[in-house]
Amino acid sequence: MDTFNNFLNGTVTLFSDPIGILIFLGGVVGGMLFGAIPGVSMLTLAAILLPFTAHLSPEHGIMLFSVIYCTGVYGGAITAILFNIPGAPENAPTAFDGYPMTRNGQAGKAVGAAVMCSALGGTVSAVIMMIATAPIANWAIRSFGPPEIFALVFFGLAVASSVGARTFWKGWLSILVGLLIAIVGLDPVGGIERWDFNMPYLLAGIHFIPAILGFFAVSEIFVQAEKKVTGSYRAPELSVDFPSLAELIAHKFAVIRSILIGFFCGILPGIGATLAAFMGYNEAVRWSKDRSEFGKGKMEGVISSETANNAATGAAMIPLLALGLPGGALTAMMVGVFQMHDMEPGPLVFINSADLVWVVFSAMFFANLSILLIGWLETKTIINLLRIPFQFLAPLILCLATVGSYAVRGLTIDIIVMFIAGVVGFFLRRSGYSLAGIVLGLILGRIGEQTFAQAMQMLHFEWSGFFGRPIALALLVAGFATLAGSIYGAFFRRRH
Amino acid sequence: MGNLRIGQIVEAALWITLVIFLFAYSFEFDREIEIYKYGAAAWPRAILLLIFIAALGQLLQQWYRGDEASSDMMEKAAEDGAHEAAEEAHHNTLAWYLYTFAISVIPFAYILVPDWIAAAMGLEKPGLHVAKLAVAALLLVLFIILVRGNQLGGMIALPVLFAAMMQDLGFYALAPFFIMAVMYLMGERRFGRMLIISAGIYAVLLALFVSVLYVGLPTGNISPFYEFGTGMVTILQ
Repeated sequence: MDTFNNFLNGTVTLFSDPIGILIFLGGVVGGMLFGAIPGVSMLTLAAILLPFTAHLSPEHGIMLFSVIYCTGVYGGAITAILFNIPGAPENAPTAFDGYPMTRNGQAGKAVGAAVMCSALGGTVSAVIMMIATAPIANWAIRSFGPPEIFALVFFGLAVASSVGARTFWKGWLSILVGLLIAIVGLDPVGGIERWDFNMPYLLAGIHFIPAILGFFAVSEIFVQAEKKVTGSYRAPELSVDFPSLAELIAHKFAVIRSILIGFFCGILPGIGATLAAFMGYNEAVRWSKDRSEFGKGKMEGVISSETANNAATGAAMIPLLALGLPGGALTAMMVGVFQMHDMEPGPLVFINSADLVWVVFSAMFFANLSILLIGWLETKTIINLLRIPFQFLAPLILCLATVGSYAVRGLTIDIIVMFIAGVVGFFLRRSGYSLAGIVLGLILGRIGEQTFAQAMQMLHFEWSGFFGRPIALALLVAGFATLAGSIYGAFFRRRH
Repeated sequence: MGNLRIGQIVEAALWITLVIFLFAYSFEFDREIEIYKYGAAAWPRAILLLIFIAALGQLLQQWYRGDEASSDMMEKAAEDGAHEAAEEAHHNTLAWYLYTFAISVIPFAYILVPDWIAAAMGLEKPGLHVAKLAVAALLLVLFIILVRGNQLGGMIALPVLFAAMMQDLGFYALAPFFIMAVMYLMGERRFGRMLIISAGIYAVLLALFVSVLYVGLPTGNISPFYEFGTGMVTILQ
């Protein structure tokens, strides 16, 4: 009952504040739009908006990002289905069956299934999130000290290294680069300057906003520029109509299975919506009686992938808010929003700013619900914006990124750093590295080092102290097991 | 076995160079901290060691198993067409990388060269400004010549050049040219449209950020660019 009352309070707070409503609607439409436009993603939008959340209240900032998360994960489904161009990696499996459906003349049905399943998966996930986050945070306050947090960071990064890049090594290297960037500046224990190369600019460390803008907004433009040059970029074409409700009910088991898979993927740090979508799809294939139909336009493929990726959104908020650990690129940016307001996400947020948490929770609930309505609107109207040729969008995004990175501290060198990050990100991406991994490393690097130092001081520099702390030990063992498994797989697993 | 390509060896060499370089510099801050036994350099060195191991591990795997993804799922999830686009455009040759590197040096030349000239000739501020404008003009001509044979390289270097010049020449004066240049490098050739849309983007940016949000964008500090920038700010705010 408490949960329900909190939810009502959050809803009232959210919708009684005109600015809040405006931001909510902006987030819903913006996430969907950026998710849908090929060549940009919700991460581009989030990166561009990140510096300006300093002008918003923390509630509005986090709420905006969570809403973008929900609708952005859905938005890319439309382009995946219609043009075989997933707006973002989490929509990639949607294209496996969605695009064949379009070629079979069932585009409308596929889009309709994506809309309904995204809304359903997301809403259910939001409800579980509301019920589960507070108890987990309470438990975390009692049983999580620096050794546990360090162990959790390690486990999260170990898991993240096996996802997102082309190989396990590239995943690890991506994360290590992020950790490396986080080292520049003053060390968290003794305040000693590291790798500053006698440049005053580097003393304060490389700010995460120019880095994130460069890695996500700028490098994307370069990738598109390369595609454009080779002529593989295509301007979208449109066709839309809708499936019947009975057809969706016929797939209820696929929906439930994908919600469960999506939720568990979302709650694990480092996995998030992308793997959720792939796992959801893979399981649908595995459970199916007739596997050969998949990939040729089976609606169950679209349903499984789209339900799972939205089901991951609510789950991803649990480690973020209950433990202070982001699981993916977008939740890592939310940590950035918290930091800009001098707040640390984590269990204490529940005690110090319960209002914020519940406004965010209800916003996510309604954002997922609104996919039904605005998803329908999108296919009718907003999708026409996709006709904007990318060569006109590119300079706008680059200028927005320029203004954004400059606005943080008023330093032109931040703009240079951002564009260099874009160039580096572009080349790393082409070689199969994971930009999300770099950003996770960058955001978790300082937390990791700080909690490691605190843990070591607490345990009097005795490594065996970890054996006396079952949770930390379990997480460390799980992390090492993940790494060992990946290394073994890299050398010995046979692929077909 | 024996599946290594030159690119993979270069990749590993780059990682190891980075590790050695940063390790050498880590002695600058290898100091003890009273309350923390491991000191300030332990964590960075541990990370460097891991990078070293991962780079070698990757090389070993590539030698042993070739360039395959770790699993089908990872391959699909990491797929964004970036790699294929590069291969299709033949942007993965050594010549292309060297060409792109040559273009990318231009922004850094702008940052460094005027200061060298000023130091060598003992120039004061007005002289330095003249040197900067002269170097900027020369580098722009060089950039335009080089870009003709490598549009993507130009697209990569252009934003850095834009950012490097912004401190001196200001956002207000540079942005319209930057916007047009990006459109051109992305393949647009209809100049009428380019003009109209550039003007539109420029106007929206200034209206939103300068007039509404009061973000003071860089005005530059070299005359007449500085006067232009401050003039724009006065009009807009």
